[in-house]
Amino acid sequence: MVSELRDYILSKKYYALRRPSGIDFAGEYAAKKLPPRERVADRFARICALETPLIMPGERIVLVRTITDPNAIFIKEEGKERIDLPCIYTKEEWLEVKRQHFIHEAGYLSNVIPDFAQILSRGLLDYKKDADEYACRMIDALIGLTDRYAGEARRQGRDDIAETLARVPRYPARSFREALQFLRIINFAAWLEGNYHITMGRFDLYCRPYLDADLKSGRLTEDEALDLLCDFFLSFNKDTDLYYSIYRGDNGQSFTLGGVDREGKPVFNTLSRLCLKASRMLKVIDPKINIRVDKNTPIGVYELGSELTAVGLGFPQYTNDDVVIPGFMDKGYSLSDARDYAIAACWEIVVPVLSADIINVGALSFAKVVDRAFHEALPSAKTFDEFYAAVDRAIRDECGVITGRMKNVWFIPSPLYGLFFPVEDISKGGKYNNFGIHGSGISTAADSLAAIKKYVFEEKSVSPADYLAMVDADFAGHGEFLAKLRYDTPKMGCDDDFVDSLAVRLMDSFADALEGRRNCRGGVFRAGTGSAMYYLWHAEEIGASPDGRRKGEGLGTNYSPSLYARTPGPFSVVKSFTKPHLKRTINGGPLTLEFHSSMFAAEDGIQKLALLVKSFVELGGHQIQLNTVDAATLRDAQKNPEKYPQLIVRIWGWSAYFVELDKRYQDHVIARSEYTL
Amino acid sequence: MTGTVFDLKEFAVHDGPGPRVTVFLKGCPLRCRWCHNPEGLSPEPELLWKKNLCTGCGLCRTGCRHEDCRGLGRCWHKCPRGALSLSGRVWEAEALAEKLRGYAPMLAAMGGGVTLSGGEPTMQWRFAAELLDRLAPMHRAVETCGYCSEEAFRAILDRADYVLMDLKLADPAQHREYTGADNAPILRNLELLRASGRPCLLRTPLIPGITDTPENLRGIAALAEELPVELLEYNKFAPAKYGMLGRDYPLPDLPAPNPPDLSLFRHATLSRL
Repeated sequence: MVSELRDYILSKKYYALRRPSGIDFAGEYAAKKLPPRERVADRFARICALETPLIMPGERIVLVRTITDPNAIFIKEEGKERIDLPCIYTKEEWLEVKRQHFIHEAGYLSNVIPDFAQILSRGLLDYKKDADEYACRMIDALIGLTDRYAGEARRQGRDDIAETLARVPRYPARSFREALQFLRIINFAAWLEGNYHITMGRFDLYCRPYLDADLKSGRLTEDEALDLLCDFFLSFNKDTDLYYSIYRGDNGQSFTLGGVDREGKPVFNTLSRLCLKASRMLKVIDPKINIRVDKNTPIGVYELGSELTAVGLGFPQYTNDDVVIPGFMDKGYSLSDARDYAIAACWEIVVPVLSADIINVGALSFAKVVDRAFHEALPSAKTFDEFYAAVDRAIRDECGVITGRMKNVWFIPSPLYGLFFPVEDISKGGKYNNFGIHGSGISTAADSLAAIKKYVFEEKSVSPADYLAMVDADFAGHGEFLAKLRYDTPKMGCDDDFVDSLAVRLMDSFADALEGRRNCRGGVFRAGTGSAMYYLWHAEEIGASPDGRRKGEGLGTNYSPSLYARTPGPFSVVKSFTKPHLKRTINGGPLTLEFHSSMFAAEDGIQKLALLVKSFVELGGHQIQLNTVDAATLRDAQKNPEKYPQLIVRIWGWSAYFVELDKRYQDHVIARSEYTL
Repeated sequence: MTGTVFDLKEFAVHDGPGPRVTVFLKGCPLRCRWCHNPEGLSPEPELLWKKNLCTGCGLCRTGCRHEDCRGLGRCWHKCPRGALSLSGRVWEAEALAEKLRGYAPMLAAMGGGVTLSGGEPTMQWRFAAELLDRLAPMHRAVETCGYCSEEAFRAILDRADYVLMDLKLADPAQHREYTGADNAPILRNLELLRASGRPCLLRTPLIPGITDTPENLRGIAALAEELPVELLEYNKFAPAKYGMLGRDYPLPDLPAPNPPDLSLFRHATLSRL
């Protein structure tokens, strides 16, 4: 049943049933000068009324978007990002809003996690008590739509669906199925209201009681529950092309499993296990799975996670409670709140319900601050420490600019979604209002400092003037020094303290630079190790760098070795990247390790990978993501080798950099990886 | 004392119990026609040239004074594209042991250890033995072809916690034909291994038409008796490194593989590596 539904969704046949609303919402609202809450509520209610109920083959968890606005360029006027949701502001109005306020990204609420436990146990009718007229209208419109789904279900003889919808979203969920259907309705509504990066929080914590009750009473077997869960997981893939994102899949629909509850007791349970299993069976990109772990997490959890890694989806991602919880407490979160953290969007860490943290207000380019100090301070620096002081100053300056940029921030209100938070208006702030700042290019920066320290200050083999000239000439005519920099100079990821200690210093400087600063909402700033898309933008901002990176070459993504660093392997990478004081950079950003799928051909490959992840956690790593390389990546690597200098493939008894192999061997690896996967 | 090592691999998952660090010692007494590690054959350091990265800029031919470039005719340090590398580095046993002991806490936590492989570690058995002594109490495995003197084999066997040993061809004539050496010393060492009671795994690469024949597998099974055997599926990547060394692969065309009959063995597994 589930495979039929999966095929139907992946076939995208239902896209043909989509139609535009045909309404100029923005023009209408502008003419009437309607207030923002009115606009959001009206658009939501009218689109709900226009929606056509569509029940997919074999489906049990229903609701899918059929109204789109293919011509709507999103309100971000640069025009790159799109969303298939009609605008509520005209372009002129929106520019005016932006003159008066700082608008973050798309302008809607994002990366906040509502009180799903309460939603499931109250039902939407009960929320009407707290709701203003706009939220009430939206609840009614949503119920109107689900009632029409119930009618269509009856017409098709699907009384099971109709009965579920007679209960939710009006009333509290009484069963696992009702809970899942309710969550699908909330997820649908959240996106339709305009919110984005809708993360599902600690699903195995708040949804567990519904599963347990059904299993205990015998209403469901574990297999039946898994089947329902698969149906629910598939629902996250129905409308994703309509969601706000640059790439499909970058939509923040993530689940956080495991970890501890507010009292410190382990959460990982039957539902967590079923989630990993469902994800493994379905092999679809949404929802993304995050697992919280700590030094006491049993190896079996890592093994279940590794089985999912072997499928080649690039998740689960692991986050270490032993780093995050104390790190969060240092930033002012209470112990109980810190224990309740979940992953928002990609890797950023928030507290469900209580955080109105804006987790991505900007990014420090480590490569750029080193570049600046290199040009401005190297010629006059007498010692490396004197030079480093200039790097530290550049970090402070840059952090000053980033943190000063955001003032008078304003979000388009979310009358409906806002009901699910225990504050007056979550778009105006919550219990925690901290801002997160990414940090990109750490390894390029640390490697550059190592080269400068070694050749300018220790060996004194290169003068600052010559070094500057070579970097500014993109090493043209200096192939020998370039080779030395690239292949014969300490690199982060090789467990070499000479360079790793510089990374520690850089990350401490970053955390220090944010210490004591307050944001416009009274919160603090959190340093992070993520790069998001910044690793591309930041690479374009600078020319060649002192580590031998040539102009136009990329920076590593997130928290990873530089692209051409020849690391001895994952042990050294793990050791290097667990040296920094990661409790101080808890905005998030994973170390990424890449494995060829053949790694899992050995009988015990899964167990061995699990052991590696566990040791990363025990060494104090904060977050790790593992990729299994698939045939599609390999094919892209064959066409664009410059993008994949570190892609390693295993070839019988030995490993090779994929891009260094002759084409015919590459073809073999591709063929094999298709076979393996 | 010193030894020559051509590679060091972290997180090796096919070389013994748990995740491992594998040390590849240079030099091998056999010349198996299907050898997939040709840079492990000669005991001397050699230049590896990744042709597809080379732009022909000629910088490597401009001369240098590097100790490790002597006699190579090129400077492998100078290539801005990283197309040249040296296969084979000379290590003092203690220096290498110190480096490997750096992995000890992580390997112990993971239930893994260090594996000496090659080439053929018994070609440098005195160095290998000293290295193994210096690695104690880490878990130590050795991967050997078994072709060595009794003295060398005993020296290694005494110091290894786990032995991976190749059994390629049961028939002496075929063994001579395809590996260039007689298998009598291997069979003698197999008995030493059996008598030692050391945990071990025998390995047979399945080379189509050569080692994967039912006759050979029956022979291997008879030799193995109660010892566990892993059959390794052959794949077509073996020749990949020959080009980098400027050599031709000695075993060009092979017939389709024979699916191995595991029931011939008392304890056998089949691996696709």
